[in-house]
Amino acid sequence: MEFIQRKTADRAVNHFLLKAADQEITVAWDRFEGQLPECGFCESGLSCRDCLQGPCISHPFRNQSKLGVCGKDKDILAAQSLLRLVLKGTMSYLDQLNDFADGVQAGSVKPADKKQAEKALNAIAGLMQTGNSEVIDEFPAALVEGWKTAGISPRGIANDIFKASQRLEGGISDMEETLLWSFKTALLGCMADRLQNRLKAAVFGDTSVSELEVNLGILKKDVPTILFYGPVSPLLKQKVAKTAQAKNVSVMGVCTDPLLPPYRFFPVTTYVSQEIPLMTGAVDLIVTGNQFVNPSLAEVARDWKVTVVPADGLKQSSDPDALAQKIVAQAEHAFEMRQNITRDIPMVKESAVMGYSAADVDIKKIVAALDAGKIKGIAILAGSNNVKYTQDEVLVTIAKQFLANDILCISEGEASVSLAKYRLLDPARRDKDCGAGVNELLDALGDNLPSVIDWRLTDFLLALAATGDKALSDYPMCAYFPEANRSAEVTKAMWTVAMGVSTYFWPCLPVTGSAKTQQALEDFCRDKFGASLHVVTQKIDARTKAGLFLKTIDAPATMSGKSWE
Amino acid sequence: MQVIKVDPKKCTGCHQCELWCGTEIASLAKELAGAIQEEPQPVPRVYVEGKNLALQCRHCVEAPCLDACPNGTMRRDPQTELVYVHEPTCIACWMCVMVCPFGIINPSPTYKVAIKCDRCRNMGYPICAEVCPTQAITVEPRQDYRKVF
Repeated sequence: MEFIQRKTADRAVNHFLLKAADQEITVAWDRFEGQLPECGFCESGLSCRDCLQGPCISHPFRNQSKLGVCGKDKDILAAQSLLRLVLKGTMSYLDQLNDFADGVQAGSVKPADKKQAEKALNAIAGLMQTGNSEVIDEFPAALVEGWKTAGISPRGIANDIFKASQRLEGGISDMEETLLWSFKTALLGCMADRLQNRLKAAVFGDTSVSELEVNLGILKKDVPTILFYGPVSPLLKQKVAKTAQAKNVSVMGVCTDPLLPPYRFFPVTTYVSQEIPLMTGAVDLIVTGNQFVNPSLAEVARDWKVTVVPADGLKQSSDPDALAQKIVAQAEHAFEMRQNITRDIPMVKESAVMGYSAADVDIKKIVAALDAGKIKGIAILAGSNNVKYTQDEVLVTIAKQFLANDILCISEGEASVSLAKYRLLDPARRDKDCGAGVNELLDALGDNLPSVIDWRLTDFLLALAATGDKALSDYPMCAYFPEANRSAEVTKAMWTVAMGVSTYFWPCLPVTGSAKTQQALEDFCRDKFGASLHVVTQKIDARTKAGLFLKTIDAPATMSGKSWE
Repeated sequence: MQVIKVDPKKCTGCHQCELWCGTEIASLAKELAGAIQEEPQPVPRVYVEGKNLALQCRHCVEAPCLDACPNGTMRRDPQTELVYVHEPTCIACWMCVMVCPFGIINPSPTYKVAIKCDRCRNMGYPICAEVCPTQAITVEPRQDYRKVF
């Protein structure tokens, strides 16, 4: 099946795509075309293979085959498809947290603040085992009360993950309850993410605002280069960075946290083009985590003679010191052996400022600007890339559209890296992007702020909730995941909604097979949390996508009194 | 004459042909997510029978539906030899439904017309053959069996 669309907006990536096409190297976009048309039942959440009587489908166009063998109808199938994603996403946060906490407990590192580290470890143990973790106290009391009333306040792995996963095994629970289980599970992921950050701050010190460089141009010709792929244990990252610094080895990252005090891991590219850095020939060794890492890397690494070291595995050493020494030594050796490989590094790199927090930005000024009408609202941009969309195009167009319309933009993670590639995180470029209101606010907030502020989503929301006198759902605010793809992002979108921030998510979540489930994510969620998870099925361009939020802000206030009927 | 050939050995019964036929040909939305939620429910022109046989119109050389149609609604395209329903004149008598030896003509109670596969005669290539993941559905010239036997 033919699929015609520009692959990427990133000119550095485009250069290598042409090269890959010449040399008949298969990249993610080619494999995507090979998969078309993708299964319509799976795409719309109307299939199930939870037991061996299936796989079952609910046929949308026939009057038979509407129910699975066990009797699941389309509403339950769609709600369970979402739950399955959220479960996987939450487990990815728990896995990262568990690895990190294990390392700290084993004494692999001396925490910067021992007392705080112990407190965080206790909270983690509470979350993992009994569910009585004090991390929930960081959230506004009214929000937590609402979660308790809805029955979705997280109560630890045994009470959330185990129980939620059993919804897929059988039992009688309706679509709304299945959705609530998804939210409960997602909130557990949120707690895990919070604790991971707390532990990181306690062990390595607070993350400060840092200047970074992004895109393929940052790769180096004359020194051995190590790339971290995906979220890897901060302990291993720190040890590798420390050893590498002493031996003049460069360490960078793809889809990994770029800031780990005192080290910085410059982001080389974003998710969908993760094979491209290897094709430059300027990477000698990669350390791979699990989430966000495509198995296709192994094949490309073989072609370009890049050493691959998995960060964990059944046969991998669990001692981060020994592993770090081994990684750096292997990188040096690989650099010597790869002297005959041309290092083709495009001259494309941008500088960016990342890592803002409540300590750097006075959030009261943001609230005041909102109240005074200087800015119209706040948009949070998150999520990585998806091969279904032109890489970065939707995200960047939406951000520019918002900034021009006086919407303050906050971004995090992979979305920040994508935006940084187009200088939206570069303070020098700010005036060209922003409307007068946003410009004035950014000037008031600090000396050198970029157009888009890189700030962790949950940190920002909690800081805003603590400062303002309103619930989060009462602010003109929304979150956008315009090019998302991983289950961890679905989990994040779900907890954002549970915190009271309406969220737009692309591509369509696998709930479109059931009009009732899709509607419940709008209406039912608005009743419970004051926010909706919008699943937009129409094919619309990036400007129209940005317009969805702008339209809700500009809409006239609803009139009181009886409706016309 | 180009007709659709179905190889039961390759058909896995995945119903993708039905799904995409229902979306591309039968729905108003022309997009899966919109088509699924459409009322009345779109009616695909192809049916997967049992576990491994996609059935659609054979465009018979001597088509009983053409003979049974009382007012010439069922027609044969002189150029492509494909049999199709001229919907504006259909009187919903369902004679064609009764005489079809393969049972592939479907009465639409909502629109009061007979619904059948026209091998996507207004498109470049039939959608069922395009989306079939195992290439069980292909478009091939009709074999002249009289010559074979």
